Amino acid sequence: MDLNDIRDAFDHVAKKQKLSYSKSQDIVDQIGHEIEQALISIQLSQESQKSILTELMLKLNAIGALQQLEGSQKELNISVTKYQKLLDKLLYPDISKVYRTADYDAHVVNQILANHFYHQGLFDVGDSIMKEAGEPEATALRSLFLEMHQILEAMRVKNIQPALTWVSANREKLVQNGFNLEFRIHRLQFIELLRNGNRADALKYARTYLAPFASLQENEFQKLMGCLLYSGRVENSPYPELVSPSNWTEITEELNRQFCTLFGQSYKSPLSVAMAAGFEGLPTLLKLANVMAVKKHEWQSMKQLPVPLELGKEFHFHSIFVCPVSRDQCSEENPPMLLPCYHVLCKQSIMRLSKSSAQVFKCPYCPAVATVANCRQLYF
Amino acid sequence: MEMDSLSNGNNTTATASTPATVSPDSSAATARATPTPPPSSTGPQLTEALKLEHQFLRVPFEHYKKTIRANHRAVEKEVSAVISGVTDAASADFSPDDAVNHLNSLVSRLQGLKRKLEEGSRAENLQAQKCRARLDHLESADGENLSEWNSTRLKRILVDYMLRMSYYDTAVKLAECSNIQDLVDIDVFQEAKKVIEALQNKDVAPALAWCADNKSRLKKSKSKLEFQLRLQEFIELVRAENNMRAITYARKYLAPWGATHMKELQRVLATLAFKRDTECATYKVLFEAKQWDFLVDQFKQEFCKLYGMTMEPLLNIYLQAGLSALKTPYCYKDDCTKEDPLSQEAFRTIAMPLPYSKQHHSKLVCYITKELMDTENPPQVLPNGYVYSTKALEEMAKKNDGRITCPRTGSEYNYTELVKAYIS
Ligand SMILES: [Zn+2]
Repeated sequence: MDLNDIRDAFDHVAKKQKLSYSKSQDIVDQIGHEIEQALISIQLSQESQKSILTELMLKLNAIGALQQLEGSQKELNISVTKYQKLLDKLLYPDISKVYRTADYDAHVVNQILANHFYHQGLFDVGDSIMKEAGEPEATALRSLFLEMHQILEAMRVKNIQPALTWVSANREKLVQNGFNLEFRIHRLQFIELLRNGNRADALKYARTYLAPFASLQENEFQKLMGCLLYSGRVENSPYPELVSPSNWTEITEELNRQFCTLFGQSYKSPLSVAMAAGFEGLPTLLKLANVMAVKKHEWQSMKQLPVPLELGKEFHFHSIFVCPVSRDQCSEENPPMLLPCYHVLCKQSIMRLSKSSAQVFKCPYCPAVATVANCRQLYF
Repeated sequence: MEMDSLSNGNNTTATASTPATVSPDSSAATARATPTPPPSSTGPQLTEALKLEHQFLRVPFEHYKKTIRANHRAVEKEVSAVISGVTDAASADFSPDDAVNHLNSLVSRLQGLKRKLEEGSRAENLQAQKCRARLDHLESADGENLSEWNSTRLKRILVDYMLRMSYYDTAVKLAECSNIQDLVDIDVFQEAKKVIEALQNKDVAPALAWCADNKSRLKKSKSKLEFQLRLQEFIELVRAENNMRAITYARKYLAPWGATHMKELQRVLATLAFKRDTECATYKVLFEAKQWDFLVDQFKQEFCKLYGMTMEPLLNIYLQAGLSALKTPYCYKDDCTKEDPLSQEAFRTIAMPLPYSKQHHSKLVCYITKELMDTENPPQVLPNGYVYSTKALEEMAKKNDGRITCPRTGSEYNYTELVKAYIS
């Protein structure tokens, strides 16, 4: 699809609109001019005013003002129609073609939206929608995300205190990552002090906050202490990566992730994920609707989509095994089975191949043979 | 119904999600399994995204057209008024002074028209600019800023939803804080807002004025909104027991619809015989307050149609497509990962009536790392039949002297007991 074609067609409309405007102006000027001429004649000439007015009337009729106005409007309309036809041709004129009529509980959608805004840190917008939708009270997630965004916001202005408070309060729950995260946050602060040339402060900081990690992070600890020699010029030390600003964004992101995990929330807003899947999937659905001319009621009753909507890796949340022989999606009733040759087929395919459970059958993918009894069920 | 996968122009994902296709005797396959470089251009995928933006271009264009038409009508009206003013003067017996005064008044009328024309043209140009801003925005999308563009896309869709739901303040807030005012239709919905608020206050006048404004287009689409509004006005007269006025009203405003909507007309006229407290179900419903909500819905539909919007909020359309694409029987299990929107009750509710997605190829996700198991990270089977990715198992073995603990059953094994499964 070429957007330039659309732009050209639009420019044409805009051109005609401007032409139509100047045409209207001309006509108004002409009429005004004739009337003013008549005014002068009435005041100056000896002619009877009646004949002057009649002459004016005839002149105005000769201009054909209304016909001219209509004419320019007609030309404009032609380009308007062309533009709209082009849009209909190049774009999907109705993306709701594959929509299933459903009665959504506005309440459910409003909760989703409010939580999305809280998740993104747009508390103002989230509160506003709750108010306008007349939802009784803020969602439970609001205070949770508020705390999270306060921590992240502080990190953005290099204030580690809220993050530290949160990490040490949840040290136990964060288990293996807790210590690591705490150490990395202290490291940020230590490097920040060094970067600004506060060697004494940095040393003091290291004694108080980094030393407790010395045994756990021995190498890293020694490296940091080595940096004391490079106060004010850490970028010239053997570890210039320590002053990279991306360290701050990385840890902020990590905090974000840990916070969400700890509270059983997804790292990405679920609405963003679902919509992103929609952005990728909808074109295929629309194409399908065009190709198959699927009737509205068929969409309504479909239990499974007739085609795969190929989504990116980030949308694969579950293991789906499709049997290479039968092309069926495996389920609890028809689980995937491992053959002794380590090829995997679905149970039904194996039953079909072996005919009876004792009989030996050949693997469709290699020369090996198997019996139903020496196949094993797999759990992905 | 079996069909081959239609290309959705989604090259990125098609290559990235190739399933693990190694056969035991092809060592070459492993050698070939170098990471796929990201494609340099997301061209076809982008084109498909742009093709979904009909409403985005159409709505400001309808607004533009509307402004042009209104201006044109105003000019036509004024010009013909001035011309007939001259014609009248020519046939009247004016004194010279009267004639001069009359012509002067026409001249000043024309000057007024010129000012109006200029104003009108400014308004038209503003609308044209808005149409161009939309085209610019579509053109600005490329492979590099796609994620940012998509995030704006989501915001635009959310504003659309809020405008349709009459959450105007929230719509304005979101548009302002994201700086996308030119990319959403807040101004267009101002027009709807007035009508809807009046209807909610049981006032049909602005709605009727709107119908008159858009008469020809409503007629073309066989809209009966005006008829429904008139019926409601009639019902209100009956409710107030203003029967004589009700009959006069019906003669004037309802009768013309008789030819096409006789049945409805008769039913409503029959209310004259009853009263607002009638218990007769057929008529009782006509007096209910929800009739006004119904009128609001009807108006919203006509409004969307007129501006070339989809009948459903964009949000609902995309959400359905997305949830259907994500929906698998596993989403509804207790151990569904939090990253899957369908682990949440609200999304599950919305997805309930939707069809499941379909897969032509296996997509195996490691239970431990949540990473895709493919040629680079092949699946390995524990003696108990549980499968995990090589990466996860290697990591575990490294940490525990070659011991593996199945996270789902607690069984312990030696790394050497594992076997690689071949998935095709
Ligand atoms: Zn085999």
